Amino acid sequence: MLRIDEITKAFAGKTALHPLTLDVEAGEIFGLLGHNGAGKSTTFGILLGQVHPDAGEVWIRGASVQRNRSQALGRVGAIFETPSFYDYLSGWRNLGIFTAYTGRVAPARMREIVELVGLTARIHDPVRVYSHGMRQRLALAQALLPDPEFIILDEPSEGLDPEGIQEMRELILRLRAEHRLTVLLSSHLLPEVEQLCDRIAILNQGRLVFAGAWRDALPPGRRVRLDIDDWERAGPVIERALGTRRDSVVTFPDGTDLAAVVAELVTAGVRLSAVEPVRVTLEDFYLERVNR
Amino acid sequence: MSLFFHQLGGELFKLFARKRTYIGFGAFVAVELLLLGLLRMERVQRSIRRIIEATGYDASEYLSGLTLAFMILLWSVFLLGSLYLALVAGDLVSKEVEDGMMRMILSRPVSRLRVLTLKAVAAAIYTFALVAFIGVTALAAGMLYGGAGGLFVFAPMEKLFALYEFGPGLVRYAAALPLLALSLLTISALGFFFSCLNMKPAAATILTLSVFFIDTIVKNIPYFDAIRENFLTARMSAWVRVFDYNVPWEAMVESYAWLMAVNATLLILGWLAFERRDFKS
Repeated sequence: MLRIDEITKAFAGKTALHPLTLDVEAGEIFGLLGHNGAGKSTTFGILLGQVHPDAGEVWIRGASVQRNRSQALGRVGAIFETPSFYDYLSGWRNLGIFTAYTGRVAPARMREIVELVGLTARIHDPVRVYSHGMRQRLALAQALLPDPEFIILDEPSEGLDPEGIQEMRELILRLRAEHRLTVLLSSHLLPEVEQLCDRIAILNQGRLVFAGAWRDALPPGRRVRLDIDDWERAGPVIERALGTRRDSVVTFPDGTDLAAVVAELVTAGVRLSAVEPVRVTLEDFYLERVNR
Repeated sequence: MSLFFHQLGGELFKLFARKRTYIGFGAFVAVELLLLGLLRMERVQRSIRRIIEATGYDASEYLSGLTLAFMILLWSVFLLGSLYLALVAGDLVSKEVEDGMMRMILSRPVSRLRVLTLKAVAAAIYTFALVAFIGVTALAAGMLYGGAGGLFVFAPMEKLFALYEFGPGLVRYAAALPLLALSLLTISALGFFFSCLNMKPAAATILTLSVFFIDTIVKNIPYFDAIRENFLTARMSAWVRVFDYNVPWEAMVESYAWLMAVNATLLILGWLAFERRDFKS
């Protein structure tokens, strides 16, 4: 669906994006992560032909964005971190104006999408009275019109309340399931990305530091948090079980009999008040990658 | 082509749905009424009467609604027309870039040239609509106060002096409106050009007005008399020549061709600058 081929970009001599190559498969939800200024917006800008790359090329559905933008973006929708609308016009009129740049859209199709994003009751109100959540939904509606195969979502949950975040997540998953949409999204809400994305890419200061299925990239082993009074005494037991310790978290090789290790620790006179399995989150993974 | 008109409809809707558009139209009515008030002052009327009577005509026949409308048109357009067109055209692109709508538009499969063409056409339509509005309201206000009568044309800067009966005067007045709009397209083109560059909307408006006023001031310095025809505002004054007894069509066509060339150059330069820009939050 999307191929980013060795794109680079510098602004005023400062490199914003080092050569970046990425592929996003059809039907995939792909997360682009990075701190502010990492190059995510530049990447999105280049994908949409809004930013001219210094080198490289982007292909969407087999068409080059740089050489044949109209064809490449023909079935692409996008929303941005802070969606902008003509505040003095209604949501409905805004949809009409933005979608006109792609082509004519039947009112029935517009109503269908408005209903999908849950804005039917307020779509004829002026956008200036919309809440942030309603603006996000309107932005999503315009991205879904007329009929995209691929949507780019830049911080779709930004500024939403917990219910709004959950609704947005469910909507994205539903779009993929029902319409086989390919989604490329960026978000600072890593738990959201963790629940949504099949694969991720991490940018750090304009460089790609990871791309792929992050769980597959985790080192093997079982992680447990041990609440122990005497780590010196516990050390030999952990070493014998081939465990490696970082603070109070110990990683044992897969297949380790934890009950036996715990029994051995107790026999060795270690006071053990808690054994808690540790799940590595995307946040842990992300921080580990960017702080390397 | 039908999609172009569909998109143009959206562009015009955006423009004409803004309250500011109508505040501007309202401001013109206020200025017209103010000028009308001034023209009705005894001292002003006396001096107009003196000029007309000096040529041997009966002043009461020519101090009419049509004459008042012409004077309102002549003065209000230069007072407010340039300001307002600069404001609207200066906003057209840069405001949408500043507010983020341009990014939303440019995420669609539409070329930048198409987006600019739509906006340029909308600006031109707006210019014609504004002039038509000023022309019609000035005539209505003039007729209301002065009634029907001949047209007295006096534009000392253009060395123009003419008197017409009501019928021929009305025809000349009607012919002057589209020509005036054509002249003012250059203000819109200037505003549009600056709006395409990487600057704030206010800066685009100020630069447009600066060019316009500097051109007006420098043109009137006697030292530049020999090259007066090369000033924008000198060419833009060509519309007044439609009130000449013998309309100098050749000179007018030359002036308008000159202005159209300037407009086309500004639009192309604006497009080139816009095409090269990067848009990102």
